[in-house]
Amino acid sequence: MVVKEIANISFRLMLICAVSALVLSVVSDWTEAPIAAAARRAEMEAVAAVLPPFDNSPDSCAVSMGEAGEEGRTYYVGTRGGSVTGVAVRSSSKNGYGGVIDLMVGVDGAGTVTGVRVLRHSETPGLGANYTQNDLIQRFYVGRRLMSTDWRVKQDGGDIDAVTGATITGRAVAEALHSALRRYDQEKERLRGGIGKTPLADGEGEGRK
Amino acid sequence: MTRRRILFRGIWKENPVFRLVLGMCPTLAVTTSVINGIGMGLATMFVLVCSNGIISLIRGFIPRKARIPAFIVIVASFVTIVDLVMHGFFYSLHQSLGLFIPLIVVNCVILGRAEAFASRNGFADSLVDGIGMGLGFTLGLVAISMVREVIGNGTLLGVSLFGGGFQPVLVMVLPPGAFLALGLLLALMNKVEERRAIRAGEAYEPPREMDCGSCVLCRWEEVE
Repeated sequence: MVVKEIANISFRLMLICAVSALVLSVVSDWTEAPIAAAARRAEMEAVAAVLPPFDNSPDSCAVSMGEAGEEGRTYYVGTRGGSVTGVAVRSSSKNGYGGVIDLMVGVDGAGTVTGVRVLRHSETPGLGANYTQNDLIQRFYVGRRLMSTDWRVKQDGGDIDAVTGATITGRAVAEALHSALRRYDQEKERLRGGIGKTPLADGEGEGRK
Repeated sequence: MTRRRILFRGIWKENPVFRLVLGMCPTLAVTTSVINGIGMGLATMFVLVCSNGIISLIRGFIPRKARIPAFIVIVASFVTIVDLVMHGFFYSLHQSLGLFIPLIVVNCVILGRAEAFASRNGFADSLVDGIGMGLGFTLGLVAISMVREVIGNGTLLGVSLFGGGFQPVLVMVLPPGAFLALGLLLALMNKVEERRAIRAGEAYEPPREMDCGSCVLCRWEEVE
């Protein structure tokens, strides 16, 4: 009987699928916390790497500037001896060779880049991916400021060093940093209010209480 | 066939990469660095062993006429498990392999072994077959990625080999380099096999699909 055979096959397939779904839901439940923790740990490591020297826990001193739940709008504040030394914030560009490039950038009170760390990218290994290497990217960007830098790569007539074979990656990283700095510049005042206790000093030591 | 032969068959005689020429998508795509090759190979091996085991256990239950969907569901489940576990516990490796992990589902090596071996053999033999084929696949990926990383990037496992004066041959880490490396290694493997056969006094017959003489394209007019 054809109907009976179809019913039999369907039933067996359904059972296999049901068992698979059950197993997967258990595994998903079990890995949910470790996945979130690993992502958070990677983010916090990046924060610690890009901030100027600090002695607080930037994790617990975060100011969110965006709507609730909006990604990348949280400023992690680093302080030392009670005064703010700098902030770290996420930024990203969609224009990498392999799509989105996510990075963490640290800025001090004067608006100077103190560190950059790429969090996520899909650039070509050996080419674009070279550009995301830590020491290289630090050398290219640390010390740069919003106003005194032409935020285009050298091939386009700007100030940003590029690597042969990674022009597009370079453009995307520069774009992400540039937009983070511009946003920071706009939000500086509001951020000060958010941090509350200490202004992000433009001059020296004025914030110390 | 003894277990030993089942195990070693996957590594050389029926190596999935160089002999069966299966699973070419990950083989060509992820072999830009040795660490990627190892990670992909081990992830595939894990899925292969698990799916082989389960499929051989329930081979009486899987309906003959709908076996491919059943295989795919089982394989996909294990791949999802690998994906989740890797994401949680090997975060940086997951970041670099990212896209290619879900693609293990459509790796022909896994479906091929399910169909050709696990659905016809016992549990233990199927596990051994999975381990052998998985090792063979991993070694294949490592061989290709070694060639590509050393020539194309001047590094091995991320360690610089030649110092500053070396100009890496960039094309080797780009997609065309995958085909070049694979082709050269296939040729080398056939040469080695031919020598072995001649030395042992056996008649050597190259794998048909790789033998230019048996290719229809080359004697198109004759065929017509």
